[in-house]
Amino acid sequence: MSGFSAVYKREMLSLWVTPLAWVLLVVFLLLQGYSFYSIVLHFSHVSQVNLDTGPVQAYFGQSIFLPLLLLMLCPALTMRVFAEERRSGTIESLLTAPVTPTAVVLAKYLATFTTYLVIWAPTLLYVVILRKTGHVDWNVVGSSYVGVIGIGAGYLAVGTLMSAMTRSQVLALLFTILALVGLFIIGIGEYIFDPGLMRDICVHVSAFSQLDEMSKGIVDLRRLVFDASLVALPLFVTTRVVDSWRWG
Amino acid sequence: MIEVEHLTKDYGTVVAVRDVSFQVGRGEVVGFLGPNGAGKSTTLRILAGFLGATAGRVRIDEHDIVNESLEARRCIGYMPEASPLYPEMRVREYLRFRAAAKKVSRRDRGSAVDRAMEQAAVSDMAGTLIGHLSKGYRQRVGLADALVSNPPLLILDEPTAGLDPNQIREVRNLVRVLGESHTLLVSTHILSEVESTCDRAIVIDRGRLVAEGTLEELRARRAASGAVFLLRDPEKRARSLLGTSEGVKKASSGAADDDLVRVRVRYEKSVEDPGALLEQLVAELVAAGIGVREAAPARATLEEVFASLTHAEADESGDDDEEPGS
Repeated sequence: MSGFSAVYKREMLSLWVTPLAWVLLVVFLLLQGYSFYSIVLHFSHVSQVNLDTGPVQAYFGQSIFLPLLLLMLCPALTMRVFAEERRSGTIESLLTAPVTPTAVVLAKYLATFTTYLVIWAPTLLYVVILRKTGHVDWNVVGSSYVGVIGIGAGYLAVGTLMSAMTRSQVLALLFTILALVGLFIIGIGEYIFDPGLMRDICVHVSAFSQLDEMSKGIVDLRRLVFDASLVALPLFVTTRVVDSWRWG
Repeated sequence: MIEVEHLTKDYGTVVAVRDVSFQVGRGEVVGFLGPNGAGKSTTLRILAGFLGATAGRVRIDEHDIVNESLEARRCIGYMPEASPLYPEMRVREYLRFRAAAKKVSRRDRGSAVDRAMEQAAVSDMAGTLIGHLSKGYRQRVGLADALVSNPPLLILDEPTAGLDPNQIREVRNLVRVLGESHTLLVSTHILSEVESTCDRAIVIDRGRLVAEGTLEELRARRAASGAVFLLRDPEKRARSLLGTSEGVKKASSGAADDDLVRVRVRYEKSVEDPGALLEQLVAELVAAGIGVREAAPARATLEEVFASLTHAEADESGDDDEEPGS
């Protein structure tokens, strides 16, 4: 893991001294704030709230809004990590330092993942606000955040791989969105196929189903294994891609 | 310090480097010469560990660049062509990052960065965003980057490319100073750069190594290809006489003092004994009643050597630079 710490710090600095992360943070919080406001407004007019359909559940699940937002947020965070280094030529300086491809890939990935967590962190205030006005099931909150973190981790890994496949940030963004939309479409198969293997596969790939399920406090280990696979496989391939540049 | 054996790099349809072998000893300052597209950058990228070779072997300070890549890369300060840098970082910030990536201990990092900035003369820009620097300063930051871990070997790929004449002189002076304390391999296609900074040169053309040696050795390959005469020739007959002599390809004349004339001749490639031909030409001139004040083999410029080695058309006007050999 030679060079991990140095590359991680540089990536974090690069993400936060340029407008990208700040713009994403502001846009994300504006959209999420509006979503939360609408949900709270809706529930303020509901006299009887079921345990399964509270504001937290509505915020994380029961809607296509959040999965679609992640489809845009994650590719925007990862589009530049390798594409920009290759376009500007700094990848040559980076890879001729005594650093390993694995360290470079993990450092860049974890920097975007940390940024993703930082972007999500202010939304904890919504839970604090809800806590002041009523009961909050912390298990539901915890499992919901595990859901968005798991999905985000996988999406960011796919984005990191796509960024390594091209020198253009725009193409990296488009490739990632296409790949994630592909996963999303497979997830829609849940509503198309009859019960059976195909439908089971679609259910487990579906980010919407995962968020919906976890927003009800259900943590299915199979979903976490899928998320972990969606992190490990693209990152492994990314490492091989970075290594392959030496032989290009 | 550098051992390259039968290095070949094949990009599929294009062979960029073909069976190149050379060595660079510790403390040497070596120019890596070649026209654009000769394979210089590809070779240096392989030496720096950025590219893998299709065939052959590279050892840096006894470490194989493939099997002991990290150890080999620790010995190298590499400055890629055009010195790519992160524009959003400040100079000190960037060099601290590079020092960390190159395993300079946290305790020594500050002093290593200060030393590198001082050596590369960028201390006054320590707090400036790299994106705001001039090209000359960016090159210097690239040099500071190469120096920050104090490696024994510096590999600089076209360090003066794209700079204005003042910046070229500054960077060249810097390279000359660095050559006093490091093993240096500098690629360039600017020959005056090699003359002013290097004591040995390796010439590569179309992926093949075509010559290597000290600058004098390289010049000697062309030294006997012509001669320069200083003649007393009031009737201006020398040029036509020499031009029609056997073994002479071309003769050109220029004015000297009073009735003296300077005549330069270029020999045919087929001439096997230039010394004997010079002797014969002097005899012909004397027989024709032309006074021979000076006669000497032409001392080839490095440009001519380069042109002949790389099969480029020799610039005829380059003759004007020839001086009688001493």
